[in-house]
Amino acid sequence: MDFARRAILGQIAKLTAGAALVPLASITMSSSAVASPINSQPARREGDASKRYGMLIDLRQCIGCQACTVSCHIENEAPLGNFRTIVSQYEVSNESTGDFATMMLPRLCNQCENPPCVPVCPVQATFQRKDGIVVVDNEACVGCAYCVQACPYDARFINKKTQTADKCTFCAHRLEANLLPACVESCVGGARIIGDMRAPSSQISKMIAQHRSELMVLKPEQGTLPQVYYLGMDERFLSRPQAEPALWDVRDMDGKEIGYEFLDH
Amino acid sequence: MNSSIIEILTPRYELAWYPWAVQYFFLIAISYSALLLSLPGTIGRGQLAQRWQPMARLALLITLTCTLVAPVALLADLHQPMRFWHFYTNATPTSWMSIGSILLPLYLISVLAYVWLAWRPALQKARAGSGFRPSIAKVLSFGDWQASRAILTTVALVATLFAFGIMLYTGAEIAIIKARPLWHTNWLPIMFVTTGMVAAAGLVILLNRWMSPEREGREDINRQGLKVILIAMLISALVATAWFVSGFSGHSDSVAAALQSIQANSDWRLSAIWALVAGVTLFVLAGLALKAGNQARSVLNWAWIVGLLALHVGWAFRWMVLMEVQTVAKNTAGYYQLVVELGSYGLMGIIGTFGLWLAALLLIDLFIPWQGKAQLEAQHG
Repeated sequence: MDFARRAILGQIAKLTAGAALVPLASITMSSSAVASPINSQPARREGDASKRYGMLIDLRQCIGCQACTVSCHIENEAPLGNFRTIVSQYEVSNESTGDFATMMLPRLCNQCENPPCVPVCPVQATFQRKDGIVVVDNEACVGCAYCVQACPYDARFINKKTQTADKCTFCAHRLEANLLPACVESCVGGARIIGDMRAPSSQISKMIAQHRSELMVLKPEQGTLPQVYYLGMDERFLSRPQAEPALWDVRDMDGKEIGYEFLDH
Repeated sequence: MNSSIIEILTPRYELAWYPWAVQYFFLIAISYSALLLSLPGTIGRGQLAQRWQPMARLALLITLTCTLVAPVALLADLHQPMRFWHFYTNATPTSWMSIGSILLPLYLISVLAYVWLAWRPALQKARAGSGFRPSIAKVLSFGDWQASRAILTTVALVATLFAFGIMLYTGAEIAIIKARPLWHTNWLPIMFVTTGMVAAAGLVILLNRWMSPEREGREDINRQGLKVILIAMLISALVATAWFVSGFSGHSDSVAAALQSIQANSDWRLSAIWALVAGVTLFVLAGLALKAGNQARSVLNWAWIVGLLALHVGWAFRWMVLMEVQTVAKNTAGYYQLVVELGSYGLMGIIGTFGLWLAALLLIDLFIPWQGKAQLEAQHG
């Protein structure tokens, strides 16, 4: 049953990735001025409305080196143990043959077209820019963590240093200086492609056109319309995978935790 | 193809909502439930009012103290509590939490006004004499004018209206979170209200053991409280069943998510068994106590245990929903660890909230004649 369910999810993923892509041309900011009902998307603000940033992650090129994780950490100064991006690594073994393979899955904020974290914010501290990037004004943020609960991708966290919500911003500050995000810049395999999906000549637009039917997004059933597209994705990893955690709690003979790398208490 | 998957490196995030959230949801639910329990005896007429008046005295005390302390816990759950004023400068109509931040002070003010009006006749009488209590009564009665019954009724109804607002927003705030399938069910807000009623009636019975003035009325209060617990538990059981059925008919992922967690995590299994045992025990005990009470036997000496268990059920339900559910990682394998630290983000926060509530209760008990006529007569001999 699980397998059937996942297969269906995979179909949805493909369809939704397609659906998420199609309206891009037609949307061109139809920011309606209708009074917004509860939990609907508020109007976008700031940013360049002529652009729509997105990312395509070519999983065939990812070797799981975590260079993106490290460079993001250095660039954005997230506290130890919190990540704006991280590469999930899975060991998949075939129970009948004993063969196994490794799956690398870079995760980051999906800069969703319908971001569930935005309407819940009680003080409008988190908002979506016109170029699609979801950002947090941490001068306004009250640290209620409602957005952390609302994100289906665990892409948000409360930054202990600032005591406010923190998340990946596609390195908006670097994009504005015509630089690539730290994770893209440092990716050794060139697996991460960022760009303006409204510009037909951008690499991401070309790759989306080329691979349209193969692209998948995470948790498509949530209706968030993620704008991080995965190429070479395995359907079993679209939602929370049915996996055993390893290297989580490392305990000694008495059951006392000794080896968790990010444990700070 | 059968495959097994190991997640090699799993980041572990801390839970974003602290036990403060549980304290807020617990106290505010007791607050609105006790408000409802106070209505028949305060604004009712004739026999109804007479029968429920002893209960109403305790319910008013409970609704006031819980309403005062709950917002403190809510404030403490913010990571930037000093920025609370942003809620009012940046109000956001799309956010249930923002709507709640508008409703909560209105609710608080209306409850204060309602309880004050209900206690005012006693306060006015308590002005006689000299000393600390009469001088407090003088300040708090705000003059000699008499508030008409119509005013009391109107204010009570306004407070009730806001109470429904609080029920709606606290429930909706959680239930709209699609990212947590366990929360994303319409049955949850109803369950918050029914278990809140259980806890409020439990607190009435508990305080009845030590704080009620009249010996006779106390057995009545117990019987009424037990009846409320039984009915609220019965509705809770029906709601839980409906939730379960909705899961099997494919209308909600909430049930599947719960079953999955119970299957995968021993903590969850233990919690599920605990919840079932506590719920059934409460129902049976409340039933037995009510039966004994109806046969004119005194249950005063042990009904408070039922009250305590009712409080536990109301609190543990919120702990389960708000804290345990946060341990379910959304993307990664396994469960985040629920560590209740000793400090103010953990155990001290929980104990501190209850301590603050107890302090509020004792201060009111010391200085305000909340028991009405009986207390005044006792004081003046």
